[in-house]
Amino acid sequence: MRRGNIWLWSMAVLIYAFLYIPLAIVVLYSFNDSRLNAEWVGFTLSWYQALFNNTEMLTAARNSLIIAFSASLGATVLGTMAGLAIHRYKLKVLPILVFTPVAMPEILLGVSLLLFFLQVLNLTLGMVSIIIAHTTFCIGFVAIIVRARLQGMDESLFEAARDLGASRWQTFRLVTLPLIMPAVVAGALMSFTLSIDDFVITFFTKGVGEPILPIQIYTMIKVAVTPEVNAISTLLMLLTLVMIIIAARLESRASSGRVKMPREIVKQ
Amino acid sequence: MNPRRLLALPLVSLLLIALLIPFVTGCARQDQDGARVAGNTLHLFNWNNYIAPQTIVRFEELCNCKLAQDYYSDNEEMLAKLAAGATGHDLIVPTGNAMDTLIRQGALKPLDKSLLPNLKNINPAYLDTEFDRGNKYSVPYAYTLTLLGFNAERIKELGLPTDTWAIIFEPEYLEKIKGRVTVLDSQRELMAAALKYLGYSANDTDEGHWKQASDLIIRAKPYWAAFSNTSYIKELAIGNLWVAHGYSNDMFQAALDATKTGRRFTIGYSTPKEGAVLALDSLVLHRSGHRPDLAHQFINFMLDGKNSAELTNLIGSGNPNTGAMQYIRPEIANNKAIFPDAELHNRLEMLHDLDRKKRRLLSRLWTEIKLR
Amino acid sequence: MIKEAPRENRAARYLVSGPPLLFLVVFFVAPTLIMILTSFRFPGEFGGLAPIAAPAEKISGEYGFTPEAYQFFFSDVLYAKIFLKSFGVALATTLICLIMAYPLALLIARSEKRFRNLMVLLVVLPFASNFLIRIYAWMIILGPESAFSHFVNAILGAFGLAPVTLLFSPFAVLVGMVYVHLPFMILPLYTNLEKHDASLLDAAQDLGATAWQRFWRVTWPLSLPGVFSGSALVFIPVLGMFAVPDILGGTGDILIGNLIKDQFLGTRDWPFGSALSIMLTLAVLSVAGLATWFARSATGQRA
Repeated sequence: MRRGNIWLWSMAVLIYAFLYIPLAIVVLYSFNDSRLNAEWVGFTLSWYQALFNNTEMLTAARNSLIIAFSASLGATVLGTMAGLAIHRYKLKVLPILVFTPVAMPEILLGVSLLLFFLQVLNLTLGMVSIIIAHTTFCIGFVAIIVRARLQGMDESLFEAARDLGASRWQTFRLVTLPLIMPAVVAGALMSFTLSIDDFVITFFTKGVGEPILPIQIYTMIKVAVTPEVNAISTLLMLLTLVMIIIAARLESRASSGRVKMPREIVKQ
Repeated sequence: MNPRRLLALPLVSLLLIALLIPFVTGCARQDQDGARVAGNTLHLFNWNNYIAPQTIVRFEELCNCKLAQDYYSDNEEMLAKLAAGATGHDLIVPTGNAMDTLIRQGALKPLDKSLLPNLKNINPAYLDTEFDRGNKYSVPYAYTLTLLGFNAERIKELGLPTDTWAIIFEPEYLEKIKGRVTVLDSQRELMAAALKYLGYSANDTDEGHWKQASDLIIRAKPYWAAFSNTSYIKELAIGNLWVAHGYSNDMFQAALDATKTGRRFTIGYSTPKEGAVLALDSLVLHRSGHRPDLAHQFINFMLDGKNSAELTNLIGSGNPNTGAMQYIRPEIANNKAIFPDAELHNRLEMLHDLDRKKRRLLSRLWTEIKLR
Repeated sequence: MIKEAPRENRAARYLVSGPPLLFLVVFFVAPTLIMILTSFRFPGEFGGLAPIAAPAEKISGEYGFTPEAYQFFFSDVLYAKIFLKSFGVALATTLICLIMAYPLALLIARSEKRFRNLMVLLVVLPFASNFLIRIYAWMIILGPESAFSHFVNAILGAFGLAPVTLLFSPFAVLVGMVYVHLPFMILPLYTNLEKHDASLLDAAQDLGATAWQRFWRVTWPLSLPGVFSGSALVFIPVLGMFAVPDILGGTGDILIGNLIKDQFLGTRDWPFGSALSIMLTLAVLSVAGLATWFARSATGQRA
C-alpha cells in the first residue's frame, strides 16, 4: 500500500505542477515591469494600479462573476434534478435533451439562442439572456457527473430508508443528497469555470453597454496581451478562492451540529 | 447533512458579490457617472483600444453624457451579431467591405451633414469611396495597411528583400527563415497578398487566378510557422519571429514594444512594391440607435484634428484627417508605411465583399489549403 | 429496484424531471429547431439568411428551402477528412486526460475527508482565471527560446536527434487541449472513486490479491461509470474547440471547430455552418450512444 501511495503522490504532484505552471507565469508577469510577457524585468504594481483605474474592466469582472454564480446555481439545481431523474426513472427523451447541448458547438448555440431571444421571445438582451444561455449548456455537465455518481450505487440504502418509514422528501434530504453531494459540488465548480470563460455564447447573447470580462479580454488580446490582463486574471482567481472559502466557512457554521452521516441514519 | 447546505454555498457567494464588488468598483465609478442620467448614453460598437482614453473623457465632458462601448475583434463578429437582429448600438466602426454590406442590408441611418461642419478636415482621397458614394452614410475614421513586418537586423544579415511579397511566398527566400514566418489567418487577406504578388487585383474573383494563388500559398506553407492574427505582435517583438504578414498598426505596436524593452534589434515594416490592401474604417449610424443627436456630436468631435490625432499617436493607425497631421508625432507622420505617399497610394486596394457563392468557394479553397 | 405506489411515483417523477425538461425544451430545443431549419436555407447575399419568401422588389438570388448545404458537405471528401482528424485529436486528448486524471482522482478520493474539498478546489482554481490567458501562458512555455524548449532539445540532442519546435505544432495543440479539459476528467472520476467502499479492497487484500490485482479487479471496474462520463465531458467539447488550434496550432492544425466557426465568423455561411454542426452533433450522439451501450454491457456484467 505504501509503495502505491508514493507512486500516486508523485503523479499527483506532477499533475498539480502541470495545472499550476502556466498559472504561475500569469501571476508572475502581472507584477513584471514590462509590457511584454517575455522575461522578468523588475517588480511593479503599476498593472494593478492601471486596473483599479479601469472602471470598465472592473465592472466587467463583476458582471462576469454574477453571471457565473447565477448560471452555475441554476445549472446545478436543474442538472442535479435531471441527473436524478435520468437515473431513477430510466427516461428516454430527457437524456438526449440533457446531453445534446454538451455536444453542440458553442457557436451554433450562441447564434441560435440569439435568434431565439430576439426573434421569437422578443427579449431585450442583457444579463438575464447570458445567464439563461450559460445555464443551458452547463446543465448537461452537471447531469452527467451526478448520474455517474448514482450509477452502481447501492439501491438498498434508499430502500432501507423507505422501509424505515422515511418520506420521499426525507429520503432525498437525508440519504440521496448527502450521497451525491460531491458530484453536485463538482458540477457546480465545472459550471462556474465554463461560464466565466465563455466568449462565443456570451458575445452573441450579451446586450449593449454591458462589459463582460471574456469579451473585454478577447477583444483586447487582438491588440496584444498586456500584463493588465494578467492582473485581472490573478485577482479573479483570488476573489473566487476567497469567496468559496468564506462561503464554506459560513455554511459549515450554519449547519454545524446538524451533520449526520447517512449510514448512521440508515442503521438507526 | 442538511439540504440547505446545497443552496447555502452559491447563495452566500452570490450575496457576497452583489454586496462587495459594486462597493469596490463604486469608488472608481462615482466621479465618472456622477450626475449623468442613465438614458444619456451613447452606445458605440467598436474595436477594442480604438479610441484614446483621454478623448473619451473630453467627449463625455463636452456632451454631458456617457460613452459606453461594446467591442468586437473582427468585422464578421459584428456583422453576425447584427444580422441576427441585435439592436441598440448608435455607432459602429466597420471596415469598407463590411460597411458596404451594412449599407446594402439597409441597416444604416443616413448622416445629417449639417451637423458635421468638421467634415471639411477629411482628405478628399478618402471620401466618396466606391462603398459609399457621396458619403451618405459614413465618415472615415482611421485606416491600416496590410504589409510586412520584419526583424530588421536579422533580415539584413540574411540579405533578404523586404519590399516584396516574395519573402513570404518564394521558397528561395523562405528557406533562410523557415519556421520564423507567420501570415494572417484570414482568407481574404492572404489571398489578396498572393493575388497582388501574381500581378492580379486583390479583388480578382477569377477561379483560375484563385487556383494559382492557392498553389502559391500551398507551396510556401511548409515554411510558415503558423497562421496568426494576433500573436505575431509579441512574437516579433521578442525575436521569435523574423517576418510577419500583418497590419500596420500592429507592426507599429511591435516596433514600439521592441524599442521599449531594449531589444538588440528593431522591428521594421514596409509596404510591398506589388501593392497591398488598405482597410478604411468609418463611423456609421446604426438604424436602431436611440441617440442620433449624440452620435452626430461624437462624429463631429472625432473629426476635430486634435481628437483624431490622439488615436494615431496611441496605436499608429493611418489618419484620413488633414487637420490631424499637425498634432501627430513626427516619427509617425513621416512613416511611409503608415502614411503612404501618393505614388504608393495608387497601388493600394480596398477589399470588396464577395457574393455568397464566391464566399463558399473561397471557404472550401481555404479549408483545402489548411488541410494540406 | 424501488417499489412504490404508481401514482405517488408519477408525481415525484414529474416533479424531478419536469423543471429541467421544461427549461431545455424552451431554451434548447426551440433554438435548435431554428438552426435545423437554417441548415436548409440559402445564405443571405450579404450575410445572415436569404428570406424564405421572395421580397416584393425582386433582387436576384434564391429563396425558400434547399438541401444545398448538405449536398455541399458530401460533394467533397475534404470535410469527412476534417471530421476524422478531429475525432482523432479528441480521442488522443481523452486518453491522455484519463491517464493523467486517474491517479490524481484516486489520491484525492483516498485522502482524509477534510483535505478532499481543498484538493478538488485546487484542481478547479486555475480555471477561474481566463481561458485565453492560460493558453497564452502555454505560448510562453512552448516558445522556441523558453527554458522548456531548451530542455527538451537538450535531451533530444543527447540522443543525437534533431531539435524540434514545440510551439505552433500538433503537439502544442494536444498540450493545450489536455490542459483545458483535464478538470472535466478529474472531477467525474473523483466523485465516482470517492464512494468506493474501502472494505472491498481490504477483503481483496485478505484474500491475497496484489496491489495491481486489487486495482484491476476491484477499483477499475467499479470506476467505469466515472471513466465514461469523464471521457464524454472531454471528448465532446474538444470537438467544438477552435481557440486552442487557432492560437497554439501550426499551419495545418484545422479542426472541425475551426471550420464551423469560420462559417459563422468568416464566410457568413450560416446554412453550411448549421449543417456542419448538425452533422457533428449527430456523429457525437451516435458515438455516445455506442459508448453508453458498451458501458452498460461492461458494467452490467460485473454488477
